[in-house]
Amino acid sequence: MEELIEILNDIDDSIDYENETGLIDNHILDSFGIITLVSEIEEAFNVSIDVADMVPENFNSADAIYAMIQKKAN
Amino acid sequence: MSYTSAIYLAIFLPVTLIAYQLTPKKHRGKILIGASAVFFWSLSKWLIVYLAGAIVVTHYTAIGIERAREAAFDATPDEIELRQEKSKKILRLGILLVLGTLVVLKYTNFTFMNVTQLLRSFGSSIVYKPHRILVPIGISFYTLESIGYLLDVHWGKVKAIQSLEKTALFLGFFPKLMEGPICQYSDLEGTLFNNEPLQFENLKRGMLRIFWGMFKKIVIADRLAIIVNSIYSNYSDYHGGMILFAAVGYTMQLYMEFSGVMDIVIGTAELFGIKMPENFRQPFFAKNATEFWQRWHISLGKWLKSYVFYPVSVSKTVKKWNQFGRKKIGKFWTRVGTSALALFPVWLINGLWHGPFWNYIFYGMYYFTLLLIEVSIEPTWKKWMKKIHVDMKAGWYRAGQTVKLLCIVFTGEMFFRAPGLKAGFTMFGNLFKDFSLAPIFNGALEHYGLERMDLNVVVWGIIIVFVFDILKEKNKLSYEEFNKLALPVRWSAYYALILAVIILGAYGEGYQAIDLIYAGF
Repeated sequence: MEELIEILNDIDDSIDYENETGLIDNHILDSFGIITLVSEIEEAFNVSIDVADMVPENFNSADAIYAMIQKKAN
Repeated sequence: MSYTSAIYLAIFLPVTLIAYQLTPKKHRGKILIGASAVFFWSLSKWLIVYLAGAIVVTHYTAIGIERAREAAFDATPDEIELRQEKSKKILRLGILLVLGTLVVLKYTNFTFMNVTQLLRSFGSSIVYKPHRILVPIGISFYTLESIGYLLDVHWGKVKAIQSLEKTALFLGFFPKLMEGPICQYSDLEGTLFNNEPLQFENLKRGMLRIFWGMFKKIVIADRLAIIVNSIYSNYSDYHGGMILFAAVGYTMQLYMEFSGVMDIVIGTAELFGIKMPENFRQPFFAKNATEFWQRWHISLGKWLKSYVFYPVSVSKTVKKWNQFGRKKIGKFWTRVGTSALALFPVWLINGLWHGPFWNYIFYGMYYFTLLLIEVSIEPTWKKWMKKIHVDMKAGWYRAGQTVKLLCIVFTGEMFFRAPGLKAGFTMFGNLFKDFSLAPIFNGALEHYGLERMDLNVVVWGIIIVFVFDILKEKNKLSYEEFNKLALPVRWSAYYALILAVIILGAYGEGYQAIDLIYAGF
């Protein structure tokens, strides 16, 4: 989780990732942020994100992103 | 019959509402389909066969995809792969049929004309005479809806619709036929098929939204259209301030018209208790062009993001690029390259989707370039601003962002509206010749078909809409809040709105009915 927060802070450090649950729904993280995030996640966690994973529910919070990574890793 | 015509509002809608309410619940969907067929027929007659064909193809393709996919879950890995391939083949065939129809009908003349022109520049004497091809209303909208739905079924994001009646309603629901919004299936599945009885609250809410849309369309946009059309049809005669006026005027006309029609569309759906996605969210309050496109024609942007931008950004090519870039050229240029690879098809399609004209393609490439610049410099810019202690939320900084955004949007819309790319460049060049704002303020505008009273109505109308936009942006205006106001205040507002539309609407003697701009795409 720490590594993920580090990646997220690298994209935009003005967001409270620990508590924010509407990264997509509240238009906080834009589509460019998402594609940067996806590329960083794939590199750092050695997972492959595909197009079916690109849904708001998977990116709305740090917890949701982490849950998706774990699911992909398994 | 368009959404702002008397026949739609005074006959078609009331008859549909009464028939819907009188019909037993399980058959109400058929009433909506019947009404949609009548609406479509009134605009495109026998071309309805194209819509019917798209519905049938979409319906059975989705079922075919799902059957191929479902069988894969308890199968061996080889079998899974085989069935996924089968699902992909069915998907490709479905998309080929619906997209192929759109491409043939809309782009045949454009393609052949450009190919022959290219051949002629190499010495060929071939001449292509454009054919008159009839294009059904709304094909650009329902085709995207169909493709999006088929991809969602293929990716397992939604279940295939099992009833042909429901597929027909999803693609052909009359309020969204002419100008969208371009709906994803998940946007509508919660309310479109409920067949709920009419409710007073929904009727009141829907009617209020319809009248608000009418105000924007027939009081403001249709007046602006007269003067804007007059300048654009003789564009080479104007320079300086008049060109600026034409660019700003068209942007306002388009915003008032398109967002106004969306109010009518969403309001109409609300009458039946159906919730449609919003297509505008106070676009002129965006901080930059990227955000502008998250607030303007939202449904097209969302469609392109879901079915072009994201699929490209997680494609094998982009993944390979990311791996290569990280090792060889560093994070910054890798990010720029990834953004360019994903953005280019988005904006090429955006431009082409509006129509087979070079100025639309230029419009797409204009935003592709601007957005790529924005996304590339944004992180560095933010760091600089932080370093020199600039508060990016300060009023003066936001004002600067707004001015920059307006310049970008006005310029883009000038090329978009210009009668051809060459005309767009001529107008852009003329903008800087003998620049003076005097013609706008010295009464010269009154020679373009609008009297002083009309111009005052336009200006005050725009001010009212923007005041409401400010309130919405600050979350101080919602239907729920409005409903809490005292009864006399609410009814005064209803009467004021209705009377404004009836008294100030640009219809009747002296005015021509203005076609809906986006219905032409």
